[in-house]
Amino acid sequence: MDINSVVTEINRPRAQNDSPLSSRRATKASKKKPTKRATVYFEVEILDAKTREKLCFLDKVEPNATIAEIKNLFTKSHPEWYPARQSLRLDPKGRSLKDEDILQNLPVGTTATLYFRDLGAQISWVTVFLTEYAGPLVIYLLFYFRVPFIYGPKYDFITSRHSVVHLACICHSFHYIKRLLETLFVHRFSHGTMPLRNIFKNCMYYWGFAAWMAYYINHPLYTPPAYGDEQVKIAVIIFLFCQLGNFSIHIALRNLRPAGSKTRKIPFPTRNPFTWLFLLVSCPNYTYEVGSWIGFAIMTQCLPVALFSLVGFIQMTIWAKGKHRSYLKEFKDYPPLRSPIIPFIL
Amino acid sequence: MAGPTSGRSAENGGHKKRQGPGAFATAYLVIYNVIMTAGWLVIAVGLVRTYLAKGSYHNLYYSIERPLKFFQTGALLEIVHCAVGIVPSSVVLTAFQVMSRVFLTWAVTHSVREVQDEDSVLLFVVAWTITEIIRYSFYTFSLLNHLPYIIKWARYTLFIVLYPMGVAGELLTIYAALPYVKQTGLYSISLPNSYNFSFDYYTFLILVMVSYIPLFPQLYFHMLHQRRKVLYADRKKTE
Ligand SMILES: NC(=O)c1ccc[n+]([C@@H]2O[C@H](COP(=O)([O-])OP(=O)(O)OC[C@H]3O[C@@H](n4cnc5c(N)ncnc54)[C@H](OP(=O)(O)O)[C@@H]3O)[C@@H](O)[C@H]2O)c1
Repeated sequence: MDINSVVTEINRPRAQNDSPLSSRRATKASKKKPTKRATVYFEVEILDAKTREKLCFLDKVEPNATIAEIKNLFTKSHPEWYPARQSLRLDPKGRSLKDEDILQNLPVGTTATLYFRDLGAQISWVTVFLTEYAGPLVIYLLFYFRVPFIYGPKYDFITSRHSVVHLACICHSFHYIKRLLETLFVHRFSHGTMPLRNIFKNCMYYWGFAAWMAYYINHPLYTPPAYGDEQVKIAVIIFLFCQLGNFSIHIALRNLRPAGSKTRKIPFPTRNPFTWLFLLVSCPNYTYEVGSWIGFAIMTQCLPVALFSLVGFIQMTIWAKGKHRSYLKEFKDYPPLRSPIIPFIL
Repeated sequence: MAGPTSGRSAENGGHKKRQGPGAFATAYLVIYNVIMTAGWLVIAVGLVRTYLAKGSYHNLYYSIERPLKFFQTGALLEIVHCAVGIVPSSVVLTAFQVMSRVFLTWAVTHSVREVQDEDSVLLFVVAWTITEIIRYSFYTFSLLNHLPYIIKWARYTLFIVLYPMGVAGELLTIYAALPYVKQTGLYSISLPNSYNFSFDYYTFLILVMVSYIPLFPQLYFHMLHQRRKVLYADRKKTE
């Protein structure tokens, strides 16, 4: 726990405005107006990372200005590049500076050269998630209620005679309503925005798969599970168990990050037994997510659902490996027993 | 797809070191490319001989059916080469190109007997044959560091005609297969079944044909761009 709070300290932007040291140094430099707080200003020039063209020159930048503040100043001369689509770097090909980075802490002289890259149109992360998740919810229900022009006029608005179809609809809707609510009220994202074009890609994926799965599950020629109620019962248990697990992990991750901050800490098991999976894997929320979809596939006995689970599993494994690697890199004392997504295996 | 990757992927700059394959891999690749060149030469000779013997260009497919299937299927190894890294091309792109041809060879031409009589088959077979002879010899000579200019020039020039020719042959062949696929329900799965899944090969073939519309111009202009880059760079060097 102690280590975690230290990490919090490092990552949080330090408030340096009232540091006695910097103000003393400032008075020495300009003795004329000792009453007014005087400072050695920095000059910042911003060049295009590709063409090296000079885009902007800022004189008189406070030494303790953050990158976020510099982005705001830059926007004034280039309104088309609002702060979220700017990436500023010290090296044209280097890493982007963080919004919290402070000018005088960077390895620059009093004249700093920053390289600018346009990240493209941005859209808020929350908007993206809401559109991504509201789509499947609505699309699935269209198939469930058999609105016209899908299965032929004979079946319009006729409900299925298989009880598992109704159960599947409840589970599917529950899943996406849960995700919507979590996006609004649980997750504390560190990124404000993402590139606009991602939303098309993501929506194609989620909406397309939802339509494909819903088409077969709600089809008038749907075949119910081979092992009947037994199979459905087990599947529902797996599904609900994993949903609860996934939610528990999201709550645990939320509690790891103080409201309004962007810090990352090592997640540990809490009093909630569902979070004990943190002992063995770095991203148990993905493990539970895959489990939910496997449960749903068993419940509906539908090949497209199984394919969706598989594709989701592959994607989440890639993310989990990336996240696992960054945990190992960031925290020297990261628990060695953990695997990215499946205990001891993957 | 959702979130995180999109944010992270931008970070890695292209710092890959260009490193040739090891001696063993080079030897293997030379052998592979020599065999493939020879294979497609066999097909070319087969086509010409049958044409001369019959005096007609109809139904030449049957004379080269076996080597065509064999060597076109052998191209699947190219995907493996990219995957294990002895060839520095994109696995996805290579897989896409090879698979689309293997698909046409087996899932269309082989599976729908009726289209084998079509002249459109000859159209793409001839286009593929010439392209592949040049391409595989290009690789062979490059690996041996003795690339004659004529082969390089041919590789980056003949496609201007051969590529549209091949595409036309492929599209016409798929189109010719459509009525037979519909009639027989080939490779189609219909509901109800216990996997709750259906597949309509007829619709799938139509989608394949439609997908040529965005893909063909993109690839064609990419090749034209490559051509300008590769051949123009040479001219500059010699001057
Ligand atoms: N079916 C599918 O194909 C699929 C695919 C992807 C996701 N999902 C679902 O969507 C959920 C969310 O996905 P995600 O990729 O955003 O999950 P995630 O990366 O695990 O993040 C979940 C939330 O916790 C925060 N967080 C993560 N690690 C943290 C740490 N060490 N310290 C403090 N905060 C931390 C994240 O903030 P940051 O903004 O900093 O990351 C984010 O707000 C998943 O759990 C899963 O249920 C489904």
